[in-house]
Order: sequence, then structure tokens, then C-alpha cells
Amino acid sequence: MVQAEIIDHIRFTVVSPDEVKRMSVAKLIVPDTYNEDGYPIDGGLVDQRLGVIDPGLKCKTCGGRAKSCVGHFGHIELVRPVIHPEFSKSIYLLLQSTCESCHRILLDEAQIAELRPAIKGFITIDEEEIETFPETSSLAILTKKLKSVKKCPYCGTAQQKLKFERPTFFYLNGNKMKPDEIMDWLSSISNDDLSLLGIDGTATRPEWFILTALLVPPVNVRPSITLESGERSEDDLTHKLVEVMRINQRLEQDIDAGAPQIIIDDLWELLQYHVTTYFNNETPGVPVSRHRSTRPLKTLAQRLKGKEGRLRYNLSGKRVNFSARTVISSDSSLTINQVGIPMRIAENMTVPFYVTKWNIEKGKEYVSNTSYPTAVNIISKDGMRKRLTDTNREEILNSIEPGTIIERQLVNNDIVLFNRQPTLHRASIMAHRVKVLPGKTLRMNVSITTPYNADFDGDEMNLHVPQTIEAQAEARYLMQPKNTLLNAKDGRPIAFLIEDEIAGAYLLTRDDSYFDKQETMLMLSNINIYELPSPERNGKYSGKKIFSMLLPKDFDFEYSFKGNKVEIKNGNLKSGIIDNKMVGSGAILLAKLFVDYGPDTVEQFILQLSNLCLRVVYMYGLSVGIKDYYNTEKQITNRTEIIAEAEGKVAELTKIYKSKKLERLPGYTSKETYELMLLAQLEEARAKAIKLISSTTDESNGAYMLATIGARGSLLNMLMIKLFLGQQQVRGKRPSRGYSGRVLPFFKKGTKNPENKGFVSNGYQDGLNPLQLYMHGMGSRDSAMTKSLVTAVSGYLQRRFINALQDFYVETNLSVKDASGALIQTIYGGDGVDPTMEMVMDQKL
Amino acid sequence: MSESKTLKESRKQKLMVSYGEPVGVVAAQSLGEPATQMVLRSFHTAGVSSVVTTTGLPRVIEIIDARKRVKLPIMRIRPEKSIARDYEKVKQLKQKIEEVKLNSLLDSYDEDIKAGTIKFNLSKEKLSANGLTLAHVTSRIKNNFDGIDISAESGSISVKYKSKKDVKSIRTSFVHMLNFAVAGIPGIFKAVIQQSDDKSFYIITNGSNMARVIEIDGVDKDRIYSNDIFEVLRVYGVEAARNLIASEIQKTLSEEGFGIGFRHISLVADTMTYTGTIRSIGRHGIAGDKASVLARAAYEETVKHFINASVFGERDPLKGVAENILIGKQIAVGTGRIKLAVKKEDLKKIKSNYSEK
Repeated sequence: MVQAEIIDHIRFTVVSPDEVKRMSVAKLIVPDTYNEDGYPIDGGLVDQRLGVIDPGLKCKTCGGRAKSCVGHFGHIELVRPVIHPEFSKSIYLLLQSTCESCHRILLDEAQIAELRPAIKGFITIDEEEIETFPETSSLAILTKKLKSVKKCPYCGTAQQKLKFERPTFFYLNGNKMKPDEIMDWLSSISNDDLSLLGIDGTATRPEWFILTALLVPPVNVRPSITLESGERSEDDLTHKLVEVMRINQRLEQDIDAGAPQIIIDDLWELLQYHVTTYFNNETPGVPVSRHRSTRPLKTLAQRLKGKEGRLRYNLSGKRVNFSARTVISSDSSLTINQVGIPMRIAENMTVPFYVTKWNIEKGKEYVSNTSYPTAVNIISKDGMRKRLTDTNREEILNSIEPGTIIERQLVNNDIVLFNRQPTLHRASIMAHRVKVLPGKTLRMNVSITTPYNADFDGDEMNLHVPQTIEAQAEARYLMQPKNTLLNAKDGRPIAFLIEDEIAGAYLLTRDDSYFDKQETMLMLSNINIYELPSPERNGKYSGKKIFSMLLPKDFDFEYSFKGNKVEIKNGNLKSGIIDNKMVGSGAILLAKLFVDYGPDTVEQFILQLSNLCLRVVYMYGLSVGIKDYYNTEKQITNRTEIIAEAEGKVAELTKIYKSKKLERLPGYTSKETYELMLLAQLEEARAKAIKLISSTTDESNGAYMLATIGARGSLLNMLMIKLFLGQQQVRGKRPSRGYSGRVLPFFKKGTKNPENKGFVSNGYQDGLNPLQLYMHGMGSRDSAMTKSLVTAVSGYLQRRFINALQDFYVETNLSVKDASGALIQTIYGGDGVDPTMEMVMDQKL
Repeated sequence: MSESKTLKESRKQKLMVSYGEPVGVVAAQSLGEPATQMVLRSFHTAGVSSVVTTTGLPRVIEIIDARKRVKLPIMRIRPEKSIARDYEKVKQLKQKIEEVKLNSLLDSYDEDIKAGTIKFNLSKEKLSANGLTLAHVTSRIKNNFDGIDISAESGSISVKYKSKKDVKSIRTSFVHMLNFAVAGIPGIFKAVIQQSDDKSFYIITNGSNMARVIEIDGVDKDRIYSNDIFEVLRVYGVEAARNLIASEIQKTLSEEGFGIGFRHISLVADTMTYTGTIRSIGRHGIAGDKASVLARAAYEETVKHFINASVFGERDPLKGVAENILIGKQIAVGTGRIKLAVKKEDLKKIKSNYSEK
């Protein structure tokens, strides 16, 4: 895209009173807005020269209407100068650094000569000019030195004590300084002296820190709103400006009438207050200015700062067009690179279609279509945008020529960006190919939920349609899941099989899993494979062979982990079980396929495998029910034994502890040792119980199987349902607070009984007794509180990280630099390797 | 056309980072995303050792905030190889390091606050267990407290204030005396001997004072560890501090079970240290030092940055990411860095070609 003009840099200076008057189109004199007829008062705060917001009126400066006129500044002439509150700190520093009598800087000639070269940005070392980096806060640093100077080196005047009282009061030797006195002082500081303090006097004169004319923003900046009752409600800024003008006017009248000095000074101070709160209504030491409804006014500083301020809310993040949002749900027939889009969204969103001599026929087809894939707008070569209607269709059809842009509806295989908030990493926004589907939800493959951290319990996601060819190309090549399959965090694949699919993969590739011909045909035809693998001797087909049908024919792979030795030779799974480590969150097999065969193979593999696995699960009839958690007689007696044993050990420990014979662990007090050993004891009981479950349950138990193969749940979950919950913890310790020496009032003081300290000996299936429920509740509350706290802390951490590191990029020579050109790393990460290749390197894939 | 090549086809080239890659943002996201899943619980025993340190999210924040004082400093001191397997010698080393408070050497003490006297009854066993003598303790107290008469006799030390003071200040100074470290290195509250897999002993301490510890004979100066980054900066320099920042972040994350690519962590460590000192990630460090006024204003303390910029006539070069988003320009990282250059003559040629057809 060609940009007409490019902002090269921005210079910040202070606006002078002359500049204010130059910018201003109107001097405002009436402290009011509209007259009785609801018409803007001339010279009032909504003077029509400042622009118009009412439709129908014309701007008196530029003649534009509400939509075309962006507004013009006005000004208020203040009868008495007033300090700009945000500059008062700078004023103080300047007053401290200069002589009260001759207003020269409190540095003698020798000191100046020493300082001068450093200020220019260059110092000479060994006749070589070296650039220095002048500190922006050099004023503050220098002032620290200068404020202790007792006598002016030029006129010899002894310096009196200067005091600054927030926000805008200055005292010289206890006498209050009026803004006009300060202004005189500041205006007689020479540019030469200012340059020593780091201030460029040609751009910013310090006397401008004191206001004599107040710039009034255009009405467009502070639009009034008309309520339903027809009543006008003014913007906070307008309210504040009315008050400033009102006091200004009264001050003028009183001065003209020769009122006593006290009254004038009081009004002057009131004017200062209103100006102060006009700039910042949160100035420390100043009472907050309020609306009639006692709501604090939102003035200039409040508009800019913070998360809802202009910078972060409207400039760093902007509203966009061409976006959609709705609930998501799953669709196993879509690949990880597709997204299912409801017709209503597809009809409403448009993509520009650039007509060339090669695609003009296709373009005309869109225009002549009267229903779904149709053109919506036509932008002719001269930039005129027209909406396509039934009446002008023929005319537009004839005007189509190369160079015309047709905005057509979204169709299959268009590229869109898909996003779920919170957008924590780059895989939270990825590009998908459109597949228009019936229904009202956005659909996606479950294997791609992990990077978005999405589930289908009501989650909504956003969709954006890139509008330029460049954007579409970038999205297609860099942002599709299959192309960015490897994660930047640790180089693992972002998309993989989860839950039931893992269970299916396990059931399919177990050593003893065989399927008859009919089953095999059903499974394979389901994923569009119409060949059969070679049957075994008994006429059945082994799961491993069925799995191998999905692999490329020349694929070799070997990996062993925890006794599971996976060996693939020439695209045949010889041994090993395909589990979580292979195609689940470990995804080593997927990574290997990606490295060797590329994105398209992986895309297809994940689609086929997940459907195959789901089919296996259906056929197996995998289910989890309450029955999986029934205890046998033996398990119940074993549980009682385990708990009794733990309690016995605890009692023993308590006895030793009470007799003060407990041997301290190095570095701990004996009480801490006792607590630690208790926790260890109860933890051991849990471990024993888990062992009990593993030794007495087999894979016919669905819940157990899912937990052991890593598909869903854990043995700990099972333990808590079946046997007992174990020790509840609050802040990493046993519950201990509440009443003196006990957790609940009806316990014996100093009780050491585990039950009274949060040990729960029942499982969810037995149900908890009131005591246990209470203890469990304490633990749950603690973890809920902690969780909500972590999101806030880690969110801010993320923001800080991004802010500190966002300008870094890799140079052509693999070094890392920031926006100012500072060299951060000579070679990125020490070796220049792409972080997504981390696992490829480590596993030697 | 296939949308992308396989890695196998272009392996060598693909392993390297691409030009313009916004590695900073990638690092920030890679570190920030797992932080959402981290626990906030700070105290945790570091592995099998019995010394308590900060772990988890609070520790990560402590590191990147560049806090001058670590909440729970620890050290790991390895003896020189010749004595590392000799428990007795390591124990002697430990005694030289660990702070011994007067209080812990006493059987009892008698104080007379009105008269301003206190008598410490030292335990012979405790003295010898710490390898100290009565004379040593006496001289340590004498050298460190003013205005006292001190005498030692038959296993006890008597202290008397020369001048009369009020009761309260006498009592406070007695308490000070009781908590006075008569031996060891100041700042090392606790020292524990541990044994590693290769049967050699090492010392883990609560509290850190590297500068003093490395002066002790028998300490292996090359294998000493402290989790106090500023102390490492002072004693061993900025390179060591950088490595410590990186290894501490990695250790903390891997304790929580997050394996994060080292490149991200090393980038953060380099960012914090490339100026030669340690700067924090945040308002008072890196973000506050940025060249761009707009970027600083958009981050935190909006008004302050605008005001200062106007006083000093600052110029925003508009080179970074945040400020270009703000003004609506393309950002200069990633694909946005790539520019297309066309010779003027060529452009004319293309134009004339296009208009002909």
C-alpha cells in the first residue's frame, strides 16, 4: 500500500501564549453554552466557530458540517496568570537552580565550562569526540547540587529559602510568590543558562509553564449529549471550562471595580484551583472537583491515563471491522486448519476480490449471483464505492473491468484469523480456512483447542477477515496451525490428540487388539481409506497394522519411553503402543512427521487418526460410571488399615514431639519438623492408597484405564472419589487458625488428632461428614482465592514482559537489536537457532 | 502449489531464526503464558535440602524486578576438592561461616538492669562445639560495644555499664548483646551440611555474604552459589549476574514443571544486563528507559512522561512497536521490517508496460 505521508518523528514542546492565540479561532467570553432557544451562544463554550456537533448546523470557521468538520480550538484569556499544575515541579527545579535576584544559573564560569560539552551530547576524550547520552532528568540531578548554593556567583545575592507546597504554591523566605512574580523570574532566565539544564529555550520557554491564555479544545472533543427528555447534558470538560470562565469573569469585574486585595487574591486562588482540576482532577493535595451528582469530573489527565484512557483504550487497541464472534463447538470432520462458519456470518462478511483480466469471469459470476456467494459492494477503478442491489446489478455487471474491486461474501477456503481471549501467546490467534456450514456456531477440530485453551462449555471466539492480499498471504503461509505447528515456547507441536482420542489410540495399538474384517472396513472407510491391511493368521486385522495405514510408506521412527518401545519401519508400526507421549501432549510422533513430511501430511494425519481413534472408542464402548468407583470389601478393609496405620504413626510422632525428644531436621524448629513429618506421613498414606487402587483395579475399569494411559483424570482423582480425600491444606499447611489451639470451637485445646487438623478419611463416594466438609471447604476456598490472585499477578507480569521486550528483532546477521539500535545479543540465544526448533534439535528428529 | 516445504527439504536454513523475527515478544509470551498456571505460594523447601527459599511466581517476579534485597537469600558453598569428603573439616568450615549468636552459647544469664550489669554463663560444651574460647567471645564483645567494663572468669562473662543510663536503653543493649554474632560471617543465619551423590559434602546457608565467604580458606571460589543477584554482580561482575538471572529463572520454572526454551530466558537475562548493570523489567527499568515518549506514556505514568517530554523538548523517533501502533504506522518487526526497493528507472518501465496492456 502506498502511504501519502509518513510521520517521521514527533517533537514535544510547550505551547506558548502566542501559539495559543495563533491556534485559536475564537476568544471565548461568555461562561455559558446554549441560550434559552437551545442555540449556541456566540463567544460561549460551544461557539459555532469551534465546530459543530448538531446535525444541520454549519461550522462558522470552515463551513463544514458535523461530519466533515473536525473542530477548531478557541481560547480564554486569563485576567491573571495561573500556574500550569503539571509543570509546577519543573518550575520549582528552575527556581532552585537560578538566582532570585539576577536570575542567572547558580553555576560559576568554571563549572559551566566543564558542563557545556556534556550537554551538547559530545565529550572530548583524547581528542576524539564521543557521543554521550544526556540524561533527560539532568535538571533534577543538577538542581540537587544547586539548591545548596548559598550565594549567587554573579551578583553575590544571598539566596533565600525557597519552599514549594503542592500543587501550585511557592514561598520565598516564607512569603508567598504570586504567579506573575514567578513568571517574571522565569522569563528572565537566558536560553544559554537553560541549555545547561537540558532545556532548549528556543522550543520551550519556562515562562510558558505559567498560563496567561488557556486553550479551549473544539466541541468535537467534548460533545454534549441530548437525553431522552430533550435535556442537554454537557461534557465534564465543558463544565470545568464554564467554571474557569465564570471565576475569570468575576475576577475581572472585581479588579475593575477596585475590590480589596484579599478578595482579589481569593478569587485568583479559586481560578488557580479550577485550572488545576481542569488539567488533572486527581492532583494530590487538591480537593476533587465534582459533578452535581457528586461524581468526580473526568478532566484532561483522566482522559489519557490508565487502561480505559485514550492511549491504552483507543490508540494502542482499536476497534475493527470485518470481525465476527459467536459460541464455538466441535466438529471432528474439520481439519485443524479449518474453521466452520455459520451461513449468517459468511453472508455478512466480505472479502475484496481484485478483478484482473484473468479472473474477470469469476468476478462477473459473483456480481450476477442473486443469492449466497454474491458480491456486496463494488469499488470502481476511480474509487467509487457502490452497493450492489437488484436494480443496479445489470449496470454494474457491465462496468466490471480489470482494476475493479468486488467485495464478495465469504466462501469456502477463504483465509480468516481465529482468536480466543485471553490472547496470551501467538498461538491464540491463528489463520484457518473457511468452511461454511449450517448452524449458528463457529466450529473447530478438538485437536486445535489446546493452543486457544478453548472448550465448548459456552466459550466464544472471534473471527477476523484479512482484507489485503498481503495480509491474506501472510496469514496463509505464517499463521495456519499446520505451518506454525511447532510451539515457540519449547518447540512442541501445538495441535495433538486429546482425551477420548488418546484412549482410542491406546485401544487400537495395544498388543492384543485385533479387529475382524467388518470392523476394520468400518473404521477405515470412515476416514476415507478404501484398502485393507494384510490380515493376520486368524483372519483378523491387528490394530497396529490399521494404524500403520495412516503413515507414509517410507516412514521410519524409533522412540522408547518408560518401557514402551515404539518402532516404526517403512510405515509399519512394529512394536509399541501409540500413547499420549506419541500423539498426545508429548506429540513426538507428530513432530517427527512434521519434520519429515511437512504440514500437509500432519494435517491429514491428525484428522484421520482422531477420527479413527474415536471410531475405536465407539466400538469398544468405553465409558466411565459410578460403578468404576465402587469399593470391594477388601478395598474398604484395606482403606481402614491404611488410615489406622497413618493415624497410629501420627500418634507415635505426637508422643515423641510432646516429650520433646523429636530430632530436629537440619534447619528447622522442632514444631516445623513435627508438622513436616506429619504431612509426610499422611502423604504416604495417600501413596499407599493409590498403590492399593493400582493393585486391585484393572483396565476393565474405564476410569482407571483413562487415568493410567493419560487420557483423562488421575489416580489421585480416583483415590479421592473411592477411598479418602486425605490431608486438606490451607496456605500449604494443615489448617491451624481459628480458635486458640484448635480450628473449631468444640475441639479440645491443643488437639493433635488428624481429623481435627484437616485430615479427611472419607471419599466423595462415601460423602463427607460435617467436620470433613468444613475442612474440605477451607482447602477449596484457599485454592480459589489463590487462583484469582495468580491471574492478576501473572497478567501484569505478562504486560511488563511484553513492554520491555516488544521492540526486539533479529538482524540479518542473527544479532538481536532493539528499536533504538542497541545490541542486546550478538547472536540470538547464543546459537541463532529458531526457538520452535528446540525439540527438533533436542530429540534429533 | 504446496503451501510450504517440509523441514527436511530445507533443514539447515530452517533451523535458524528468520530476519526480523520479534524474538522479544516471543520470549515474553513464552514466559508469560505459563506464569498464568503457576502457583503463588512462595515458600518451598528447595528440593531435598532443608533450606527455605522463594519459589514459583514470586521468585520469578523477584528476579525480573531486580530487587536489591532478596527475600530469602541462600548460598551453596562447596569446600575445595581436597577436603570435600572429610566431614570434620567441612564442619570446621561451616563453623567459620555460620553466625553464632551469644544467646546460643549460654546456659543462662543473670541481669540486673538497675545496676546495669549482666552476667553471661557460657556453656563449655556449646563453646567447644562451635570451636570457640571464652577469651575469643570476650574480646568480640569488647570490640563491638562501647562504654562497658567486661571481665571473664570461670566460664562466665560479666558486663557492666560504665555510665548510668535509663533502664530501657540498658535493657535494649542487653538484648542486642544476646543477639550479637560472636563468630561467623554476618548475614549467614543458618548453615547446614549436605552430602551430594558423589559422597562429597557441601554447605547450604540461609543468608548470603559472598564477599566474605570467598575469603575463607577451604572454600572453592569457582563453585560457590548464591541466589542474590546483586551480590553476584558486586563480587563476580555482570557476566556472572547475567548467567545467574538466566539459570535462576530456568530453575524456578522447571521446578514448577515448565520446560521453556533457554533462548527466551537468555534473552530476558541479556536485556536486563546488557548495559553493564541490572535493570528491572518494568516502569523503573527497561520500560522507563525507552527512547520513545509515546511508548513510555502508553505503558505507565502517562501524564508524567508527556509533561517531561515537553519540558525538555524531547523527540520521539517513532522506531519501536508501541508508538507505531499508536500512530497507525506499520510496525518494524517481523514481516513489517521487509521493505521493497525498486529503482526509479525500473518503476517507469513497469508503469509503461502496464499502461500498454
